[in-house]
Amino acid sequence: MSLAEKQSSSNDLSDTIEASEFYFARGWTDGLPVIPPTKDSVQAMLDSVGREAGEEVAFIANRQTRITAEKVAVNAVMAGCKPSYMPVVVAALEAISDPLWGYHGPATSTGGSAVFMLVNGPIARMLDINSGDNLFGPGWRANATIGRAVRLVMRNVINTLPGKLDRSTLGHPGKFTYCIAENEAESPWPPVHVERGFSPEQNAVTVFAALAPHQIYNQLSNTAEDVLTTMADNMRISSSVTRQPQYVVLVAGEHMQIIAGDGWSKTDIKRFLFAHTESSVAHLKRTKRISGEILPQDEKTMRPLVQTPEDIIIVAAGGRAGAFSAFIPGWGSKVTSQSVTKEIRQP
Amino acid sequence: MSKGITVFDPTTTPKEQPLRYASRPATLQGRKVGLVDNTKINSDKLLLKIGKILEEQHGVQGMLLRRKRNSGVPAHDEILNELGAECDVMIAGVGD
Repeated sequence: MSLAEKQSSSNDLSDTIEASEFYFARGWTDGLPVIPPTKDSVQAMLDSVGREAGEEVAFIANRQTRITAEKVAVNAVMAGCKPSYMPVVVAALEAISDPLWGYHGPATSTGGSAVFMLVNGPIARMLDINSGDNLFGPGWRANATIGRAVRLVMRNVINTLPGKLDRSTLGHPGKFTYCIAENEAESPWPPVHVERGFSPEQNAVTVFAALAPHQIYNQLSNTAEDVLTTMADNMRISSSVTRQPQYVVLVAGEHMQIIAGDGWSKTDIKRFLFAHTESSVAHLKRTKRISGEILPQDEKTMRPLVQTPEDIIIVAAGGRAGAFSAFIPGWGSKVTSQSVTKEIRQP
Repeated sequence: MSKGITVFDPTTTPKEQPLRYASRPATLQGRKVGLVDNTKINSDKLLLKIGKILEEQHGVQGMLLRRKRNSGVPAHDEILNELGAECDVMIAGVGD
């Protein structure tokens, strides 16, 4: 279907300023101004993925909502994406429609998660997706607009409106955008998409229903074990603790050098963190995270933070300078939502 | 007056599908109630309490509690088929 046969209704306005106000007035923005989607800009988005306007990109089963290529294109233009970003946006939407991600839970829950997106493969460097200094901050068009486009599709196409379908108690700034790349150029480890069965030359995006990033600090240590001991201590009581979601751990430059210098692999990191983030049932009961009377055996009965070491996703990313890394707790539990990786396809 | 820019609507609407309510029995007297636990904390306790009230005050005879796989998905076929075969009415839709 060409744009001439488009499903989207159009409106004639005097200029971009009027158009911007028009979108605000209809509740079609995330609170920031949008780029008015015109026929040519929407068509350029469609051309970049070789999709027809009416073609289905994804289907959200429990919302009974078809996401068409044209609607993705319209929202991607509004977000400020370049056409070259569109394949990443499409792959991310395919991923959040996967039953394993389970759209209804993370998108609507009072728990208030965002769609964390990790881009791997050569496309991350081609599109200049930030994987280094200040990667969660402003300043990179790709990081800012790819995540924003996905959120605008959630809002405008899947009707995930704050206070209505999206019942987040608090939410967090990652709901504006939460898109980064792995620092594959400087990482000593296999990237996440390769761990998940893709080749290094393939492009992929991993989506993860995520709470906000938590920064950890260790400027005293020069061994992998010491750095990760601090990380584990920060992680141990985080998120909803007892529900066993997945976690992302971002290992930034200085810590990456120390940990890799000790010869530790990503698997070593996962195993260490898994072993050192468990809590005793007694502690969880004492701090009212589990109900019930504390029994003598509870002091020695340990509950892991996650189900398995593989539920800790290690990402090499962040600036070279500074003794900081971060962890990102997942929303809810692994039973209700899992991270999903999809190939980014280009025509 | 000529206009300078034509812009597109970014929204869509869900696919419409016909929904049909199950017929309601005139009375709960002698009926068996199915309870769908959505896995939220205490949802089973709340449902069993409701079931007990229905037994004591409305003549319900028997309850069957079954648990969904998680709160974010519809009840799966296995429990739907069992509840459908065993029960006359069902209670679901427990929030936080």
